[in-house]
Amino acid sequence: MIYQAAIDESFPVAEPPTHAARLRSGDPTALAESVGYYQHRLYRYLLRLVRDTASADDLFQQTWLHVVRQLHSYDAARSFDTWLFAIAHNAAMDLLRRRPGESLEDREFSLPERTPDALSTVLAGERAAILAAALAELPALYREALTLRFEEGMKLEEIAEVTHAPLSTVKSRVRRGLEAMKQKLCKEDIL
Amino acid sequence: MSEHESVRQLLALSAAGLLDAGEERLVREHARQCARCAAKLDDYATLSAGLSALPCPLPLPDLLRRTNSLVAAEVDRRQGAAFAGAAAIFACVFVLLMGETLRMVAGNTAVLVWLAWALVSSVLGAASALMLASRRRSERSIV
Repeated sequence: MIYQAAIDESFPVAEPPTHAARLRSGDPTALAESVGYYQHRLYRYLLRLVRDTASADDLFQQTWLHVVRQLHSYDAARSFDTWLFAIAHNAAMDLLRRRPGESLEDREFSLPERTPDALSTVLAGERAAILAAALAELPALYREALTLRFEEGMKLEEIAEVTHAPLSTVKSRVRRGLEAMKQKLCKEDIL
Repeated sequence: MSEHESVRQLLALSAAGLLDAGEERLVREHARQCARCAAKLDDYATLSAGLSALPCPLPLPDLLRRTNSLVAAEVDRRQGAAFAGAAAIFACVFVLLMGETLRMVAGNTAVLVWLAWALVSSVLGAASALMLASRRRSERSIV
């Protein structure tokens, strides 16, 4: 009830939630503000990872349920962004592990080449669509590293915190992801 | 490994802004003298800029509303559980204190009657609370 009243008052919200202490105490207004504030960024991150809107939708809701359940363990001195994205990362990885054909290992890989017909379709599209399509073809861990770095603008340390990976591994994922994309786009004369 | 080889490994990370100052200087100095590496660095920079500028996919319009409803239900459930726990502890303490007071004032028979009455009230109260909670859950699932 209190929560509903809070979201009715403050929805939609586009201001950064600078109220870590209020969030930690389970303040309904602070929670509603955060859901509104992070909706686009969190949804984009999840969609890049799982690549289908229905799963991204489910994971978005699951992530916020986990947030409510784990608020007591949130350290207000830490960045809320990385804490939130780490919860989303865990939920997404659980889903991807169960998905057949999805690899979650750091390994050598190469992106598949398109057939001429598919290529011409892509070339006819927007540059952003071409890039997004190439990004979507990367293995999940590389997609994640690139989206956190370039779309979320996270620092190396923040990406490592979200993905629970060492700094060297994060660097390697960003490098390999970019190299694979460059190779693919050069082959197709897009870059 | 030659300087060219080692710098080649760093080009993508340079474009991603993930090198330390020393590595970045090494890359820049090498790229000034090596046309191939300079071209690659340009490609990576273009790619990085493109990735940073990818349009943000929009969630379904009602995702925020559905998520807020779900979160509201969870917050209510947790608050309700905390309140019920506190009320149960208070009721137990009250029953015991009252029983002890009655024992001192009116003897053991009065205590037994009081405990029996408290037990019946608790069972009825708990059943009502469960029915209310179940009804709220079904109302939420309809919404």
